[in-house]
Amino acid sequence: MANTLFRATNVSLEFKGVKALRDVSFEVRTGELFSIIGPNGAGKTSMLNCVSGRYQPTQGSIEFDGQRISGKSPAIRARLGIARTFQNLALFAHMSVLDNIKVGRHHLMRKGFLAGGLYWFTGAREEELAHHAAVEQVIDFLEIQHIRHRQAGTLPYGLRKRVELARAVAARPRLLLLDEPMAGMNLEEKEDMARYINDLSREWNMTIVMIEHDMGVVMDMSDRVMVLNFGQKIAEGSSAEVLAHPQVREAYLGH
Amino acid sequence: MQTLTLPHLLDANASLHGTAVAVREKQLGIWRADTWATALDTTRAMALGLHTLGVGVSDVVALLGQNRPNWAYGEIAAHACRAMSLGVYRDSLAEEVGYLLSFCKAKVVLAEDEEQVDKLLALGEQIACVQHIIYDDERGMWKHQGGDARLLPLKQLLQAGRAELARNPQAWQQLLAAINPDDVAILCTTSGTTSHPKPAMLASAAFVGHAQEMLKVDPRTSQDEYVSVLPLPWIGEQVALGQWLLSRFVFNFCEEADTTAADMREIAPTALLWPPRAWEATAAEVKARMMDASPIKRALYELGLKLGYRALDAGSNPWLSQWLVGRALRDHMGFTRLASATTGGAPLGPDVFRFFRAIGVPLRQVYGQTELCGVYVMHAPSEVNVATVGRPLPYVKLQIANPDRNGLGEIVVQHPGMFKGFYANEEATQADLREGWMHTGDAGILHADGQLEVVDRVRDLARLRNGDAFSPQFVENKLKFSPYVGECVALGDGREFITALICIRFSIVAKWAEKSRLAFTTYSDLSARPEVAELMRTEVAAVNAQLPAAQRVRHFFLLYKELDPDDGELTRTRKVRRNTINERYGNLIEALYQGREQVAVDTTITLADGRKSRIKTTLTLITPPAAAAQELHA
Repeated sequence: MANTLFRATNVSLEFKGVKALRDVSFEVRTGELFSIIGPNGAGKTSMLNCVSGRYQPTQGSIEFDGQRISGKSPAIRARLGIARTFQNLALFAHMSVLDNIKVGRHHLMRKGFLAGGLYWFTGAREEELAHHAAVEQVIDFLEIQHIRHRQAGTLPYGLRKRVELARAVAARPRLLLLDEPMAGMNLEEKEDMARYINDLSREWNMTIVMIEHDMGVVMDMSDRVMVLNFGQKIAEGSSAEVLAHPQVREAYLGH
Repeated sequence: MQTLTLPHLLDANASLHGTAVAVREKQLGIWRADTWATALDTTRAMALGLHTLGVGVSDVVALLGQNRPNWAYGEIAAHACRAMSLGVYRDSLAEEVGYLLSFCKAKVVLAEDEEQVDKLLALGEQIACVQHIIYDDERGMWKHQGGDARLLPLKQLLQAGRAELARNPQAWQQLLAAINPDDVAILCTTSGTTSHPKPAMLASAAFVGHAQEMLKVDPRTSQDEYVSVLPLPWIGEQVALGQWLLSRFVFNFCEEADTTAADMREIAPTALLWPPRAWEATAAEVKARMMDASPIKRALYELGLKLGYRALDAGSNPWLSQWLVGRALRDHMGFTRLASATTGGAPLGPDVFRFFRAIGVPLRQVYGQTELCGVYVMHAPSEVNVATVGRPLPYVKLQIANPDRNGLGEIVVQHPGMFKGFYANEEATQADLREGWMHTGDAGILHADGQLEVVDRVRDLARLRNGDAFSPQFVENKLKFSPYVGECVALGDGREFITALICIRFSIVAKWAEKSRLAFTTYSDLSARPEVAELMRTEVAAVNAQLPAAQRVRHFFLLYKELDPDDGELTRTRKVRRNTINERYGNLIEALYQGREQVAVDTTITLADGRKSRIKTTLTLITPPAAAAQELHA
């Protein structure tokens, strides 16, 4: 069995009395594609936010790579190797696609303001070229060469989603969190996106946690699936196991 | 001088100009160059790799993918093994790929990436002839691991080739020595609009010879830059590949199809051969973007273009228009350094042609066919003209078979670089290739000054009663130049003179009617107005002025309804169905030739929504003035 990269233990999250998550525990193994599904308001995004550090759980602990990270800021988590995309896009609309993706490399850059000012003498130039090369690899992988100099805000929705994924991937994360990567896409865009995520998982061996509504996509792609309902975990396992689970059938199909 | 085949040329270039840049490809946002030495190194490894796989004389190596350096190397490598290369368009459907591969019994396929491999594997038993599928880009191939045993990464093929070279350092020279220049090297598919594509067999040395002959008229040097945009399986691009090896210009490959425009601009090529649709698309793009431009820019653009057209017509120096708009426009399209710009494959609309000439792009028409190794008729830079396609290359024999009084007949051609026949299709070969002459099926006139004018397909020609051939489509296209003409049908097969049925373009004529304060109700009503008749009379007279005397429209009717594919009058691609027209409008056609001034029409038509509508109207015979004047003289 592959080793555990991420572990959440008895995580609860409360907003002024509203319990968004109750006692959720799960593990993500290195290299797997792990999906979280559940009806609207089940706490999926809350869970993801607890992983990325946007929310701090009221109870329970979160471990990444054997290290306890609950209480740590999102910036620290990013440096540890956790990157994410957002359900509602969060791109810098007035920056170019290239610059948006370069933001994903920011935490990896070592040269500061002064070193950057003395660009040619401090190694800042070499560093920038190396980062640029890494960004171009991602651009090639996600097939967005033709828009690399376009302003992000002027792009159609499907492409913006892809740019956001590129930014997260450019960080070369050890754990990639995807919040509804296919929401609002047409069939063709979905197929493309599924292919990219699959390739990221199988070829780049990236560990991925994904929230997705499209059940077909989730069941086809995921190694394991966790189902949330009203903030509680009701099932976890392979796609087949989860689909056969009586509580899942009830939550989803109403019988 | 050693034998002239593509592998020999590459070998010679690498030994004489090893450090010069041969190929550039944009990868990960940066242009990366291969020298001639690198190009040879890769091609040699590929050839020896193919050789170890057992590829030899008369085997077929298919190439499937986007234009990439490895595509070009793969083709040359196949020739080095004395195999035939077969380029397959990368956007072909799986069934088309399957047909071509099994028809040509392809032994090896060089596929670009997962997308093409998926296509091949889905064909299953249909391509049982294929023994090896070699793929370049390994992205996404994880899912085929341990699958089909025919799959082999290009990397491994190159390794095998290099190992073979280490074992036997003479292996490459031995391959070259074994090449017979008369071998069929290239299978080039003809465009199969009506049936399956037919691969034409082009011989190794003859192909290179033809590329050489073209360079005599349209020279290139090692300083030239060429961007490979059109698919490599196309004959035009194949010849460009030959010319690349002959004159050592830099062959540039775009990053992706989507980035072509940006990449073109970065390279600013010096030579370009595009089919009309590519030129038309570029011109349309400019026009569309000018509509969004600020009023000042738009005014400058219009002024500059007007001056450009004026200079073009007067033959004067268009420096002002070039300074105003020409240079900027060319810069945006990447045409700043373009010294040789050609269009061929189909007729290009004169307005697009004039547009590019006016902004300073030295556009020329060329003419050719796959069977005849691509282009063999072209304009010299000094004698460009929109009506003709140019002069045959000096070594080409061109005749007009069965010409009529005006010299219009089928274009038949013979030259040393032409094809040896269609692959495994003796019947088709004999149909086109008779006594050594290729019958092109195109109708044209060879003018006294040596310029060839292409009119139409021979089978689409009609003949007047006196035996003069004419092209109804040619007349129709001229008529459709008027913005007020929507559809039209030129008549005259077996008659004394030419007449026409014309449908007004409703949107434009309606606007014109509004401006002229003319009230109307329906399409039939508008087209029956005497004012509209007068308008159309002047329009057709203007068109007549541009047509040869015998092909002028003498009388016409404005039809009471639009021609419609739903009524079977047009095909779905909006070509006129002449038989249907002749049957349905027989009485009108008779009236045209009897010169009846008025025809009463009472008919029922089916509207697009299925309702029936009765039309009761009177058509008036319209006679354009030029024709009337002619009758007076006669």
